[in-house]
Amino acid sequence: MPGDPTLFLVSDVRVAPQVRQTLLREFGLNLPVWQQFVAYLTNLSQGNLGVSFSLYPQPVLSVLLQRLPWSVALLVVSQLFSAAIGIVLGVIAAWKSGSKIDTSILSFSLATTSTPVFWIGMLLLLLFAFDLPLFPLGGGITPGVIFPSTLAFLADALWHMTLPALALTIIYIGSSSFIMRNTMIDVLGEDFVLLAEAKGIGERAVKFGHAARNAMLPVVTGITLNLGYVVGGAVFTETVFDYPGVGRLIYDAVIARDYPLLQGAFLFIAITVILANLAADVMYAFLDPRIKY
Amino acid sequence: MGLIGLTIISTFMVIAIVAPYVAPYNPFVSDASALYAPPSMQHFLGTNDAGEDVFSELLYAAKISLIVGFTAAFVSTCLGLLVGMLSGYYGGKLDAVVMRVTDIFLTLPTIVLLIVLVAYIGPGLQNIIFAISILGWTGTARSIRSQVMSMKERPYVEASHAIGASNFTIMFGEILPNIMPLVLANGILAVVGAILSEAGLSFLGLGDPTQKSWGEMLYYAETRGAFINGAWWWIAAPGICIVLVALGFTLVGQALDEVFNPRVRTMR
Repeated sequence: MPGDPTLFLVSDVRVAPQVRQTLLREFGLNLPVWQQFVAYLTNLSQGNLGVSFSLYPQPVLSVLLQRLPWSVALLVVSQLFSAAIGIVLGVIAAWKSGSKIDTSILSFSLATTSTPVFWIGMLLLLLFAFDLPLFPLGGGITPGVIFPSTLAFLADALWHMTLPALALTIIYIGSSSFIMRNTMIDVLGEDFVLLAEAKGIGERAVKFGHAARNAMLPVVTGITLNLGYVVGGAVFTETVFDYPGVGRLIYDAVIARDYPLLQGAFLFIAITVILANLAADVMYAFLDPRIKY
Repeated sequence: MGLIGLTIISTFMVIAIVAPYVAPYNPFVSDASALYAPPSMQHFLGTNDAGEDVFSELLYAAKISLIVGFTAAFVSTCLGLLVGMLSGYYGGKLDAVVMRVTDIFLTLPTIVLLIVLVAYIGPGLQNIIFAISILGWTGTARSIRSQVMSMKERPYVEASHAIGASNFTIMFGEILPNIMPLVLANGILAVVGAILSEAGLSFLGLGDPTQKSWGEMLYYAETRGAFINGAWWWIAAPGICIVLVALGFTLVGQALDEVFNPRVRTMR
């Protein structure tokens, strides 16, 4: 990649050139590439992901682990809310398929999937943080404050998380409700729904107790897979709100040419996505008794 | 629904073409007397931090976003078509290998990989198009592959075999015309992804600095103090355009999908 990591750290002309050489040696960047690769693998087998270049001298593993909970919390909350709302909207739209309600919900879903996350984030930031100072301008927690209790800390973190989570939720509601609506329309056409209606158990029970439970499968699978992208999935949102998550970390690392951090992050991503795919498969088999492995 | 989409798209395409003639100001020229000016009779959508007219910027940027969208979608659809066709037709080991490669691409979060790729190969329209295409072909490939696999067993393919047509002829002369509608539907939806990807990349500052695109307008809005100066028009306008264009393509794609996609069709 153009530009090497040491330039980022020692770009100030007052720093002696020997410092740059020392840094190069210490990072092992003056060794041939294959040697660096072998060294990396050796370290990796011992659980050592290396030291971050730009956040020197913090080890990569600790940096990643520090930022991970923020991203996880943000994404889990957004996915849950968007799924819940999306499922309900999808059910309503499917039940009244073809009506004005259906068309408006459908338009809303398609509109939200076409919206860039960062734009919604910017609008929310403008409206609720700048114009109406209801929410903080960014960050994960208020800097420099000592919290009297864990609860106060959590409250502050949640307050900071509201707008980013809102932005992400809005975006994902669209896809959830769209999938839910389509699956629901198919399910509603099946015989067992006709039977349930004939039994006279009431509209709501038919809708949610029978039809929705079956139609929910693709949405649930979708959520699980989305959680796999937890690492780096919310890059845009985190950038707009300056939220201390892994997505933001990756972006900063790219700018700073912080290779060990990037490599560690990609390793994390690969692991999480594989785990999420596995979880989705298992859950699908669990929820749908027709599938046997 | 599809008609609304078509209307939106054609409007923007017209805008993109006539922009230099219709725009009230040249967006590359700054008007130092009116910085961060709110919308007024003089500046329809206000100005940005350099005094450039936001409305004119918007019109000029339409061209860039549409070009990137169409080109990247075209390239990635072609790639996906090729991969899906070969994989579905030949099957066997080739198919297995290709599917695993596709899985790898699907596993990696696109955004992150896009960022790294563009940071590596540098800014510029061609590079952005290249990066988006490289990472966007997997969906099309999968869809085409399953279609080809089902087409392979059809009588007309068998007939072609019988008269001694070469594999190449069968693939591109017989099967391709039949799956063209599916390719088209996939292509349209790919445009949406491409437009949003380009907006995202530009927003992070990885766009082409010599051009203005909607994503880049948002990038400059973010980094050049739109918030502090309360320049809501600068933030709202490009975003609305992105949403409208993406929505237009989505509507058309959905309409096409409903008609052509066999899975969706048989379920209705």
